[in-house]
Amino acid sequence: MSLSKRIVLLIVFIGVLACEDQIFPELQNAQPIIVVDAWVTNKNEPQVIKITRTQSYFDSSLPPGVPNATVLVSDNEGNSFEFLPGTKTGEYVWNPAENGGVFGKIGNTYRLYVKAGGQEFESTVAMSRVPQVDSVTYYFEEGSFGFPDSHFSEFWARDFQGSGDTYWARGWKNGQALNKPDEIVIAYDAGFSRGGNVDGIIFIAPIRRGFNPVEQDANDNFLPIFVSGDSLYVELHSISNSAFDFLSQISIQTNRPGGFGELFAQPLANVPTNLRPTAANPNARVVGFFNVAAVSGNGKRLVLD
Amino acid sequence: MKPQWQFCVNTYEFDSPRESISMRSSLLIFILLCLGSLSLQAQEKFTINGYVKDRANGEDMFGATIQVQGQNLGTTSNMYGFYSLTLPVGNYTIEYRYLGYLTEQREVVLTKNTRLDIELSTEQTELAEIIITAEDEDENVKSTEMSVAKIDIQTIKKLPPFLGETDVIRTIQQLPGVSSVGEGASGFNVRGGGVGQNLVLLDEAPVYNTSHLFGLFSVFNPDAVKDVKLYKGGIPARYGGRIASILDVRMKEGNNKNFTAEGGVGTVFSRFSVEGPIIKDKASFIVAGRRSYADVLAKPFTDVLDDGAALYFYDLTLKANYNIDQKNRVFASGYFGRDVFRFDANQGFNWGNQTATIRWNHLFNDRLFSNFTTYYSDYDYSLRFGDNDLDVFEWKSNIQTFNFKPEFTYFLNTSNELSFGGEVLYYSFDPASARGISNGETTDISVPNKQSMEYALYFSNDQKISSALSMNYGLRFSGFNYFGPGNVYEFGEPEIVGTRKPLIGVTEIDKAESIANYQNLEPRASLTYLLNEQQSIKASYNRTVQYLHLISNTVASNPLDVWTPSTNNIRPQQADQIALGYFRNFGAKKAYETSIETYYRAARNQVDYIDGADILINELLEGDLLSGDGRAYGLELYVRKNTGRLNGWVSYTLARTELKVDGINNGEWYPTRFDQQHNLKVTGLYELNERWSFSANFTYLSGTPTTFPTSRFLFQDYVIPHNYDASRNNIRIPDFHRLDISATLEGKKTKANGEPKLIQSQWIFGIYNVYSRRNPFTIYFSQDTDRLPVGQPANTSATQLAIIGAAFPSITYNFKFLGK
Repeated sequence: MSLSKRIVLLIVFIGVLACEDQIFPELQNAQPIIVVDAWVTNKNEPQVIKITRTQSYFDSSLPPGVPNATVLVSDNEGNSFEFLPGTKTGEYVWNPAENGGVFGKIGNTYRLYVKAGGQEFESTVAMSRVPQVDSVTYYFEEGSFGFPDSHFSEFWARDFQGSGDTYWARGWKNGQALNKPDEIVIAYDAGFSRGGNVDGIIFIAPIRRGFNPVEQDANDNFLPIFVSGDSLYVELHSISNSAFDFLSQISIQTNRPGGFGELFAQPLANVPTNLRPTAANPNARVVGFFNVAAVSGNGKRLVLD
Repeated sequence: MKPQWQFCVNTYEFDSPRESISMRSSLLIFILLCLGSLSLQAQEKFTINGYVKDRANGEDMFGATIQVQGQNLGTTSNMYGFYSLTLPVGNYTIEYRYLGYLTEQREVVLTKNTRLDIELSTEQTELAEIIITAEDEDENVKSTEMSVAKIDIQTIKKLPPFLGETDVIRTIQQLPGVSSVGEGASGFNVRGGGVGQNLVLLDEAPVYNTSHLFGLFSVFNPDAVKDVKLYKGGIPARYGGRIASILDVRMKEGNNKNFTAEGGVGTVFSRFSVEGPIIKDKASFIVAGRRSYADVLAKPFTDVLDDGAALYFYDLTLKANYNIDQKNRVFASGYFGRDVFRFDANQGFNWGNQTATIRWNHLFNDRLFSNFTTYYSDYDYSLRFGDNDLDVFEWKSNIQTFNFKPEFTYFLNTSNELSFGGEVLYYSFDPASARGISNGETTDISVPNKQSMEYALYFSNDQKISSALSMNYGLRFSGFNYFGPGNVYEFGEPEIVGTRKPLIGVTEIDKAESIANYQNLEPRASLTYLLNEQQSIKASYNRTVQYLHLISNTVASNPLDVWTPSTNNIRPQQADQIALGYFRNFGAKKAYETSIETYYRAARNQVDYIDGADILINELLEGDLLSGDGRAYGLELYVRKNTGRLNGWVSYTLARTELKVDGINNGEWYPTRFDQQHNLKVTGLYELNERWSFSANFTYLSGTPTTFPTSRFLFQDYVIPHNYDASRNNIRIPDFHRLDISATLEGKKTKANGEPKLIQSQWIFGIYNVYSRRNPFTIYFSQDTDRLPVGQPANTSATQLAIIGAAFPSITYNFKFLGK
């Protein structure tokens, strides 16, 4: 049976008895705290570290940027990289074009220092290796049970020998980022989790097929996943083991199954952070993450005769 | 952090010297009491013994009262229907009573040991009273048992069905002190215990997963069940291995007089069972099966099931027994159940329990009854994904248990009934036999098997100290050995409390080499003081120890949850419970039965999980587990009306259940997911006439706790919920209340000419959740699922989920073929 039919069956099963209502509960008030979104890569483009503040859970506006912050990265070779205020408040930028080449060297360690809103934080990570994305391919499956005939994508890469490599795969369909909670595709070696010991092989099928976004039209009919002319671009980011845990908990906390699946959901809990307050303010609170990723990428357009 | 690493952890769970002294003194008291009761009397004594059975079908009657008329002497039949009464030489009138049955009397001239097997029959009144309890008239007040509920299957079958099915576990949830994490969730919670802290026994064999269809139905076929007994406290010394409760489910033996067949077609299941004599009055059998049939009905109308897809569940229950002679009787019983979900011929998952029990009852002499049990129990599941052979994921897991359990009851005299025995269990755990094939390359991702041995010795005495005071006291000695082959893992302390523990070392251990050893003494005692014939005060204390742990970090337990043994890193769970109760009956024939009980339970070494714990296929699972304390306390009220056309019960529980675990909720006490302050259940049964009867139940539960975020933040376009105080279960979801009703129409029992019909039929009409309340199971927080451009933040919202959010009508048709 096709992947599509499985998806439909699952949706039908989950929806049989359950019913859901949107509610508007009052939440406890909480002080805003500093958020550090420091995802630095060796891509040849400006690297941005965002410093914002938490906001009330139901506040869907853009989070307020924190101005006048100091954002410094230094490495174990004595180099330092200063991230300077960008055009938007709260954005701090380091541009490879102005600094003679892309950020980072695989194997080096990087320390981030942030001083924002009068508080100081730091974090240290290593930049790890990333394998090539060898190719992106498409395969065809016949539709059934309300799901149309469709092409599905698959990206191919092989994990390095030696366990403990962790990756975040990020996809773009037709140039649009696949960034929904159920599109977080992470790998521990070639598999899903650290317990698996799936080492040194081609990524397992559910990871390779992680970028097949199911979309419906205005009448709730399922659309084919990929049609002729569609493209998929996939990047692999090398991440630290703790970034793997961070992303996997983001997935648990944001990708809510709803319906009957909530019986088997995990309790709401704060995702971890690898930022620590400095000795200057040991009790200061912070959320967010720092990672320096080596990135590889590949893409392909589906062209049918 | 442990200062020194050892291969062999020998831990004797005497926490303090004071405790071991109190243990010794209680042992001394026990011995003194035993000796006291042994004081020889000059008068010559003889024993009357035998079995009490149901005349209609030959089923054993557990809990029948055998009393010497005019004297305050008597006993009750044990779970095999056996009784033994030792009296001085003399003439006696012995009465045999069982509620809802005609009382039988026998004149006995006692000059020698006498065997007296008795058959009781139901009262032939026009409007048969519903047999609610199997206890005799004030047995609930007089017995040393407290915190116990016994329900027979007739009662279970009278209650409003859930989606057309009567259900053992749902009936248990109508009792005081029993809660659950929510509608549709698997299992049940007793006095603050987790689902994995209940020992659920089916004919002595443990059932590791009690649910079909993720929790909507329980695995017990009501057509094969005779009665169920739930021990919430005052747990007898013969039971052990779980800390919260014992649910003892007994199967029918099978009719040894006539062949009968019964069955039914419900909304979800079709059922069929046959029972009858193999040798009349000596040997009988029962075979009962159930299967969901939605897939069978759907097959002609859809192509979904054509390529091997399936969604069904079934169970088969078998039992046979043989009375070899007056002193020997054997029983063999088995259970096989399975849930099957298949997406196509190659992909899907299935899970199920299998148990097999052989028991041998042997009378060594008139007063020494014994039962030898050996059982096998297995719970397993398997998953397979991959639509071609190049990319496959396969995973199998199981827990197997082998047990041998000799048990003895010595009916010393009318004041003392001694029980003693022991058991040995061997467990084999296979957390994951798994492999992944990725583009043709195979990786074995199995987690090594684990094995362990549990053993116990116990003795207890049920003693009438005076006409008003009786006691049941006992001691259970239990032990556990976790042994090789296997890997022993040593973990360090994490940088932040409550996060993954770093692995420091792995040591390979040879076959049969001990890795961790634990031993515990578990004192048990209960005391009854009769204020008068209809009133008593009871108190109990028990310590219970649990060596197996159900690893489950989801809201409700699910079929993939694994059981894992105590190891060098996971210590056995331990609980102490004290309970105090007042029992009172009103009116003739125990028209009203009431009780008030309070309890306090303290538990240690409770298992919890780090955030994001990796509990499946993880060799280093132990590094993801946390350990903490639990406490639970409450007040339980119970009022039951046993007589008249309208009967039923009201149960109310006021309770609190909390955990305290370093690394969760900042190390402060927090309520468990099944903590309900108020838990009210009202069950009513009304017999209109011979053909129509009605039942209703109403449930009101305080909202269970859940965690709400306070804030959100954006990271790489993901909107992440955040709780400023890092608290757990800080908010209560709205209250739950629900009314269910049902009506039963009995078909005519006689033909026009007055002869009884061979086939009797019954229709049950039910409505679950009559007023269609959308009772919340949970409230969850999520971001919108619209696709947004980079940089545009998603809206966030809260959703309240009802598992069964509408009235659900059902019709069930049952039939019974009565053989001659």
